[in-house]
Amino acid sequence: MVSETTAKEPKTGRLEQTNPDYDPNVVVETQNLTKIYRDFWGRQKVRALNALDLEIRKGEIFGLLGPNGSGKSTTIKLLLGLLFPTQGRALVFGQDASEVTKNERIGYLPEESYLYKYLTAEETLDFYGRLFDMPAKIRKERVAELIEQVGLTFAKRRQLKEYSKGMTRRIGLAQALINDPELILLDEPTSGLDPMGTREMKDMILKLRDQGKTVVMCSHLLADVQDVCDRIAILYQGDLKELGRVDNLLQVSDETQIRSSGLTAAAQDEIREVIKKHGGNVVSVENPRSTLEDLFLGIVRESQERPGHRSSGADAKKPKTE
Amino acid sequence: MVVEDFINFSDWIGGGILLFGTIVLAAIILGVFFGYLVASFRHGPFEAFYVVSKVIGQAIPDFLNTSPRRVWAIARLAIKEAFRRKVILVTFGIFATTLLFGGWFMNSNSEHPERIYINFVLWGTQLLVLLMGMLISSFSLPEDIKNKTIYTVVTKPVRSTEIVIGRILGFGLLGTGLLALMAIISFLFVWRGLSHEHQIVGDTQTLASFAPIPADGLSGITRRRVSEDAVKEAKTSTDSGHSHLLELIHDTRDVSAPEPQLQTNIIDKTVDQAAGTVTYRRVVCKPVGGHTHQVFVDGEGDDARISLGPAVGYFRARVPIYSSYLQFYDRLGNKTQKGVNVGKEWAYRGYVDGGNARERTSLSKAEFQFENFVPSNFRNDKILPLEMTLGVFRTHKGDIEKRVTGGIQFTSVPENEGVDPVFISDIIDFETNEYSVQTLPISRKIVGKLVSPDGKLLEKGEFDLFEDFAGKNQRLHLTLSCRDINQYLGVARADLYFRAGDNLYWANFFKGYIGIWCQMIIIIAMGVALSTFLSAAITMLGTLVMILIGFSAPFIRELTKIDHDGGGPIESFIRVVTQKNMMIDLDTGYLTTIIENVDKLVVAILNALTYLAPNFSTLNFSNYLTYGYAIDNQRILIAVLITLAFCVGLTLLGYFALKTREIAK
Repeated sequence: MVSETTAKEPKTGRLEQTNPDYDPNVVVETQNLTKIYRDFWGRQKVRALNALDLEIRKGEIFGLLGPNGSGKSTTIKLLLGLLFPTQGRALVFGQDASEVTKNERIGYLPEESYLYKYLTAEETLDFYGRLFDMPAKIRKERVAELIEQVGLTFAKRRQLKEYSKGMTRRIGLAQALINDPELILLDEPTSGLDPMGTREMKDMILKLRDQGKTVVMCSHLLADVQDVCDRIAILYQGDLKELGRVDNLLQVSDETQIRSSGLTAAAQDEIREVIKKHGGNVVSVENPRSTLEDLFLGIVRESQERPGHRSSGADAKKPKTE
Repeated sequence: MVVEDFINFSDWIGGGILLFGTIVLAAIILGVFFGYLVASFRHGPFEAFYVVSKVIGQAIPDFLNTSPRRVWAIARLAIKEAFRRKVILVTFGIFATTLLFGGWFMNSNSEHPERIYINFVLWGTQLLVLLMGMLISSFSLPEDIKNKTIYTVVTKPVRSTEIVIGRILGFGLLGTGLLALMAIISFLFVWRGLSHEHQIVGDTQTLASFAPIPADGLSGITRRRVSEDAVKEAKTSTDSGHSHLLELIHDTRDVSAPEPQLQTNIIDKTVDQAAGTVTYRRVVCKPVGGHTHQVFVDGEGDDARISLGPAVGYFRARVPIYSSYLQFYDRLGNKTQKGVNVGKEWAYRGYVDGGNARERTSLSKAEFQFENFVPSNFRNDKILPLEMTLGVFRTHKGDIEKRVTGGIQFTSVPENEGVDPVFISDIIDFETNEYSVQTLPISRKIVGKLVSPDGKLLEKGEFDLFEDFAGKNQRLHLTLSCRDINQYLGVARADLYFRAGDNLYWANFFKGYIGIWCQMIIIIAMGVALSTFLSAAITMLGTLVMILIGFSAPFIRELTKIDHDGGGPIESFIRVVTQKNMMIDLDTGYLTTIIENVDKLVVAILNALTYLAPNFSTLNFSNYLTYGYAIDNQRILIAVLITLAFCVGLTLLGYFALKTREIAK
């Protein structure tokens, strides 16, 4: 069971486990999703993911955050059917994750672009297009369009082994989009990209959202997540620690921040008691915001101090004192 | 050529379907078992059970929804992979280098140089193609899993069936292309390596270079017996390590007799009206090392220019008509299961007894029954070549130069035995060419008699082998007897046959490669199937073991029988450790009973396991090419069906193993 951090925001992560009916607005749904690695004798080796309940709705950008070994890649792999759950289940478009047919509506960009290095960009996209049973004419058009879109026209006939990491990420993204998917799973989408490439990737993600597509991404780069994600889930050692809208998660609810302008220097000393008395314009009175980095590190710190407990996030949301 | 299995498609197909069912069932069981094993490592035994049962439920939809376009996409990828990783280039490079330098070591001077050449190219091609098939199929999928490139494939709507079938198809097509190229190059290599020409040694290429045969009837050049009608002889130049003897023959026949079939070697003909004969002066080239040369005479008379054409006889594809069964009779004329046992040769050939000094008239014989004996089976139905490769067992050396004599006799097979009269031909005597193919031309019109069931002579004269002897039931009996006392003639069913004619050699040559193709496809399918659950190195090792088992399947099956002294594996081990003689029984007791029963169980399992590996001897046609026999289409059909059965079985194994495993770690 997941609770939200703010009282005002309704809980979005709750799943009705007893209701198996498919809601077309729910793209991804996990129910008590658990992954335990065992040895041959059935003894538990690692609990990679523990009873994860998630619901990702159509048209949102969802971020999975967590340190190494937190279970975010495991979650993605479970959603893709690359791993089988030990308990619970993962549903994508209402279908079990092990169903092959769900892949027709999915695009996946792996952490490293695991592509065939001996193929050229054109051959790569043509190959993946064939895997979607696309007719030759459509495939040809789509390949040309995507190569243009990711800016690799100049290198379309070069083998991928000659590509830089940035170029490989781009062709990786192109293969993820070959079938014009409804759900795109991005594993560390900005890794290996220069600032310009990172910006382009983020713009691309936002553009995909604007086209009505659902994006699930996991990343270590918190600024990227903060920039593009609508909602995030923070995982730590397989447990879900936080889930909610980025705006709400970063809001510090028990403090007030006042911003003003046009005050004299003398008036600034007495501002907290007499701001109105001195006739200054109140620009905003609001709760201050933390950064995602503060929130993330606070959750990790708290989880280390109190293992097994759900994070309150209170410490993390306190703004930095000067 | 040794042929132990006379496969007939209609007889085979029943057992073949059973074998196919067994292979498929075994593959499913193995696939599920290995899948369970792999899943157990990852999830534990209980969870693995759930995973495996789920996969079984998905199997039928997966097979039904397999997309040809996706299969082809994966096949194309497999081809590109092998090409760009230069596997094909390296294999072809080794092949080309081997041929380039291999030619240096071919001995054209041997008795049968064509056998050396053909064996060399066949074995070389087979070895390289099988190794290549093993390597590309073993490494492909494990490399994809190791490099995680498989992630981008299985996250598309690709089914496990498509991954397995696509790879088998891709590598199969690639191997087929390479094999076809190798076959063409091999054919050219053999053809070029064996083609040679000779010239007559002497000042002129005419009869002037011929010398008279010495009065003793032996060749002045070789000191061996020459042909009966030879009057002069000459020698050819030594090319490709050998030379031929040329003989000028005075071929005299009745005026009414047909002219010689071969006209190119006739120098002239003289008609003797008084005697009613015509004499042809012909030049013949004596065969050496399984080949001869056609003689061409340009002009007429003593000044005619004589030249020799290219080698003839190396490239044959003889079409044999084998008997349907072989029955031996002992000295007293009783039926026996095998011929006389003369020692180790028992296994293949049975021996016919020639009698001894006390009982000179031996009734020992080998009786061959030919079915469907009709003229349409023969290219030339006037003269039927009977070919034999007989073994000889001599109880005394005597005149070693003198060959052992055998006898051939034909009898009809009456429809109503004991009622209908029987045609019996005169015995045709012949001298045996021990252990080499000899041809006995049998005229369709044969002298014999018609005898009633009670032995009464009804008619004597010339009868037709097809119309009278074979008659309506189209059956013919041929009996082989040994005509020399104290000697034995050894024969097996494949040793005596009618030669129906010859097939196109090049077509037969390429047919021979279908056997290698079948082996290669099975190896590829095996490599792909094993690589779905094993690492590359282990897959390669496993495939290699399967190749070895495949080539030695009959031997291994022989080993898994406990009908020899010393018992099964455990008993043998105990005997080795305790240094107990093989002939002495182990002490009776419960321990021995346990050992014997465990041995039986182990041996039964081992024997069953040998059937999981393909028996490559049924897919190997190299002997047919080496010995110059046409490969029966039925054999090819059977080999292709066996290959298909293994491909289906191994696809199932690969599917279940891949489906039950987690691709990611």
